Amino acid sequence: MKNWKKTILIIVLIGIIAAGAVIAYVYLKPHRDVTKEKGIALTAQALYDAFKANETDANTKYLNKAIELSGEVLDITTNQDGNTVVNFKTNDPLVVINCTFKTAPGALQPGDKIVFKGICTGYIPDANVVINEGVLVK
Amino acid sequence: MMNMKKILLLLGFVVLGFIGNELSAQKIFATRNGKIAFAAPSDDDVKAVNNEVTSRIADNGQITFSLLIKGFKFKYAEMQDHFNDQYLESTKYPRADFKGMVQNLTGVNFSKDGTYKVTVKGDLTMHGVTKNVSANGTIEIKGGKPVATCQFTILMKDFKVDASSVTDKVMVDVNCQYQ
Repeated sequence: MKNWKKTILIIVLIGIIAAGAVIAYVYLKPHRDVTKEKGIALTAQALYDAFKANETDANTKYLNKAIELSGEVLDITTNQDGNTVVNFKTNDPLVVINCTFKTAPGALQPGDKIVFKGICTGYIPDANVVINEGVLVK
Repeated sequence: MMNMKKILLLLGFVVLGFIGNELSAQKIFATRNGKIAFAAPSDDDVKAVNNEVTSRIADNGQITFSLLIKGFKFKYAEMQDHFNDQYLESTKYPRADFKGMVQNLTGVNFSKDGTYKVTVKGDLTMHGVTKNVSANGTIEIKGGKPVATCQFTILMKDFKVDASSVTDKVMVDVNCQYQ
């Protein structure tokens, strides 16, 4: 085989591998799995207090972080796509910590004290702190 | 005499207060888990859904939507990261808010089941930019509870989002079931 043919073959191969790597990077990167992360442990009340006191500071501390939240269940519902949602009580009757499960947590009752681990997506003033992609810890 | 006047004045205020309360009494429907999805018309893979939309609609026509940008779930994790880090800068601007009014409220009877066509106008704030927007949608009353649906288009440049390598606009699909 002539040298220039070899060179072209190598360039084409490198091109194919590079394209494959880009496609793999975009399409095969796994979604974040909160069960493999250590969460920041705090109570539902403490999380709400932090956001109420200073949203910017609380975002720095908790936004996009794994949170291991403990507290009392106010109610259990399902979202419009069928995932289980648990609202945790705070001392403000209008404000809850809104937690969406990625795997069904089994039977829960209002008043249960549970620990939930998920990813904090932020705060909607006068309504809720939102945590999603979560699982029941205990 | 002085005291009598004071008492009458106080009573007057109390009565006025009651009337005021009656006049402003309104029915508010709310959800913390409404649904808003978007899709790029040019690329089937570029679509995401948010199931944690907080929304309130009052029978005086006030309507609000708030959602957290990091709550948008994509099929592909890398697209989700890119959307958050490069395009919407969701750490700097975590939330999108809409505050508006149903324009043709007289056509909507919140206590009678049915489907009503509405136009909603208001201010949409996201990525640090506030813009007046208007969209046509429907309010369906089912078993006394409203469901709001609406489709509209957002131009990326209107909100200073530079996603030109992917799309210059997205179609937004709102579907909120209220309690």
